[in-house]
Amino acid sequence: MIVGSQKPLDEIWGMVKDSKNVLVFGCNTCVAICHAGGEKEAESIASLLRTKAGQEGVDMKVESMGIQRHCEPEYFEPVMDRVRGYDMVLSTACGVGVNFLAERIGKVQVCPGINTSFYGAVESPGVFKELCAGCGDCILHMTGGICPVARCSKTLMNGPCGGTDNGKCEIGKEVDCAWYLIVERMKTLGTLDQLAEVRPPRDWSPGTAGGPRRLTIEHLMDMEESEE
Amino acid sequence: MSEAKVKEKKEVAGTPEKTHFPPCRDACPVKTDIQNYVWLIGEGRNEDAFDIIRSVNPIASVCSLICHHPCEQQCRRCDVDKPVSIRHLKRFAIEQATEYRRSKRKAVPKTRGKSIGIIGSGPSGLTAANDLADLGYDVTIYEKGPDLGGMLSSAIPTYRLSREALREDIDDVLSKGVESVTNCNIGEDITMKELREKHDAVLVAVGLAESRSLPIPGVDGPGVLLAIPFLFNAAYGKPTGIGKRVLVIGGGNVAVDVARTALRLGAENVEMVCLESEEEMPAWDWEVEEADEEGIKVHHRWGPKGVSRDGDTVKGLDVVKVTSVFDESGRFNPKFDENQKQLIEADTIIITIGQMSNYDFLKGSSVERDERGLLKWDRATQMSSESGVFVSGEVVTGPGSAIAAAASGHRSARAIHLFLEGKDVAAGLQDEEIARIEKLPPDVACKVKSVPRNETELLDPKTRCREFIQIEIGYDEMTALKEARRCRSCGGGALVDQDKCMACLTCLRICPYDAPVVTNASYISPDRCQACGLCAPECPARAIRMFGYDVDSIRNEMSAYIGKVDPSRKEPVVAAFMCSKYALDKSVSLPSNIRPIQVHCASRIDTLDVLKAFEAGADGVAVVMCDSEGCRHPGVSRIVARRLRHIQGLVQPLGIANEAVGHLKATEGQDWTEGLGGIAAGIPVRGK
Repeated sequence: MIVGSQKPLDEIWGMVKDSKNVLVFGCNTCVAICHAGGEKEAESIASLLRTKAGQEGVDMKVESMGIQRHCEPEYFEPVMDRVRGYDMVLSTACGVGVNFLAERIGKVQVCPGINTSFYGAVESPGVFKELCAGCGDCILHMTGGICPVARCSKTLMNGPCGGTDNGKCEIGKEVDCAWYLIVERMKTLGTLDQLAEVRPPRDWSPGTAGGPRRLTIEHLMDMEESEE
Repeated sequence: MSEAKVKEKKEVAGTPEKTHFPPCRDACPVKTDIQNYVWLIGEGRNEDAFDIIRSVNPIASVCSLICHHPCEQQCRRCDVDKPVSIRHLKRFAIEQATEYRRSKRKAVPKTRGKSIGIIGSGPSGLTAANDLADLGYDVTIYEKGPDLGGMLSSAIPTYRLSREALREDIDDVLSKGVESVTNCNIGEDITMKELREKHDAVLVAVGLAESRSLPIPGVDGPGVLLAIPFLFNAAYGKPTGIGKRVLVIGGGNVAVDVARTALRLGAENVEMVCLESEEEMPAWDWEVEEADEEGIKVHHRWGPKGVSRDGDTVKGLDVVKVTSVFDESGRFNPKFDENQKQLIEADTIIITIGQMSNYDFLKGSSVERDERGLLKWDRATQMSSESGVFVSGEVVTGPGSAIAAAASGHRSARAIHLFLEGKDVAAGLQDEEIARIEKLPPDVACKVKSVPRNETELLDPKTRCREFIQIEIGYDEMTALKEARRCRSCGGGALVDQDKCMACLTCLRICPYDAPVVTNASYISPDRCQACGLCAPECPARAIRMFGYDVDSIRNEMSAYIGKVDPSRKEPVVAAFMCSKYALDKSVSLPSNIRPIQVHCASRIDTLDVLKAFEAGADGVAVVMCDSEGCRHPGVSRIVARRLRHIQGLVQPLGIANEAVGHLKATEGQDWTEGLGGIAAGIPVRGK
């Protein structure tokens, strides 16, 4: 899932303080699961903003609501007229949602209420961990299921650097060395010799290096076109 | 796209309709929402509790004193320790709400233009009268005895049922505009034919008001009495003619009533004889125990053979040994050993072996009877063989409890209403089946803390059996609150809105009882949920509501809780979220800057509730909760403390210091007010 965390209140206040009518707009999918931007968090931010406005003597109306997902147009349809009635929408969806809404909402300003952090998993309740970078060219079958792109601090493709230290990364003792994990895992699988294979240089163009990406699935497109 | 195909998820608010009945409610013949009213008693809301009770039970006061409480037998606390003392809680709430109930009495407009005559004013007749009056019918009750109430006023001894309590129930019903005619013998004072002409429908609810006798030698003559006339005379202070040594034949509840009444009338020795063994005896255990405490001996497994007389004077009862009472198929079929016999000496014998109805009043009507003399009636419509004449109560159910008769009264009232509306009675009486919550799963039961039941005291046996006074001493307020909190609120727990849930697993992770099961959405099993409420405030999609509790209520009313905040205040305004255990402690008075907010359990305090307190102008928040020993749910104090730390982080950018979000874990029986005062003293006034 996409993991994010709420922006500091002061930063949010800086975005909304000149607005009169603010909607904190939650997304009840990925960012709700990480308790950053679902309906409940949207309500909390709205309450904090109202208190802040009171403290600052600013006349501001702040309301909140949420929809299932901010990344598909159909979910917006039933509420879009209402959303357009505000002069500022503080979206607590991930960056995808903020972009997506901004493209559709017309003259209303959309601001991000959260920082979109990474694609991650719930390692244990309350602990979210980055495990994928969305690079567009998956090699997990060659690395024992452990991603060096997302999990090596230097995104190295050919083994650990000199900073590996008893299984930990030189950037911090709490960070695992991805290549240490890869080697240990492949030892367990009995596939360590695969690492000796010489591979061609990686093509980074399916990732962000190739520019903004778009995926089309032809048979799902234009579903509502009439029969020819 | 012409029309939105994705619908906006509906806003969920308020309290949902219950989908499952807990076993207590399921066992109650009138399906009283016991969990709800016990919860309200635990919140100190006795008048609201009364409303819940009275909404289905027109003989609420009566039941609070004499109900055999099938609810308690089914209480899921039986799997942990002892059942919640539901009947005594009911009595407490009703007595506390006396003035309130009196203030609510008012006539219901008779809008239907139709009238109903009800023969009999016992539990079923009163209940039917109540319901039909509520529906706008003109109702008249015809009672044979001098007072309304049937057996309740003419037979149940006053040491069990005070007539003042009965009067409250009757006054509720009469206040709706129900007419009554007492000392009225149908067939003599007014005939069935006349009743049929006068009323659009008639309900026969005469109960089983006559005692059966025994066909044994010597039974006719002085010194042998029948139970119902004896109880009637005792109830009205008339001479009963009992001697010093009384023997009661029978092993049911009425027999125990008769024996204990004889004792109170001055008999020096009272004994009972019954066919059944101690275990088989049909009287309730507690009735037998109380009789035993009063010195009443029971001769088990002896059958009456004849009354032994010396001339007219009763010498005693000849009895033979009973070898078995029931046959292999469980039917009543007593067998005797004629070789074992004895004389049980007594000068008065009271026969209490069962009751029947006298249907002589039906002469001349077309209401038919079967070959055994019982009324013919249709179970599907509550109607007798004569159209427009309905039946209810023990006439149709056979001997049973007051509350079962009341349930029958409800059903008959519905039948009459359907009939007078020209609707299909049988179809209209079909009830929707509501699922019953199962027994407490063992792995949940082991997490439920054992809390001793608060037993009520009885008057001392030596003194109580010399007068007709209520022998049960009811709960005082603190005991009632304590006992109410023993309830596990089965069926009053969490409900996930499947439409809003996005299966994030938060509820599953936080639940101490492993109640949620998550597939494509979470489902919180009512069999397992203990209504702690920890899950609802944590749900990131706001998909969880609670049965019987509006999760939004506190934050919606926060401005009222906080009240006025003086801009020039010196003392901080503190929102004190208090577990009801402490909020209801009347020995405590809080300074005016501390604004109490009663919560059922700290588990239910939501981040939003706290943020709303600041929004409403509070300088700080203090949570008073039980320590882990005192809380009825595992893990609450730890989880709530963590929740509050999270809130400290949220409000810190507002310049609100960590000290302004405080909590204390109170220990039962120890002073916690000092701790609360300490938290308040450490909270700075905002903006100063």
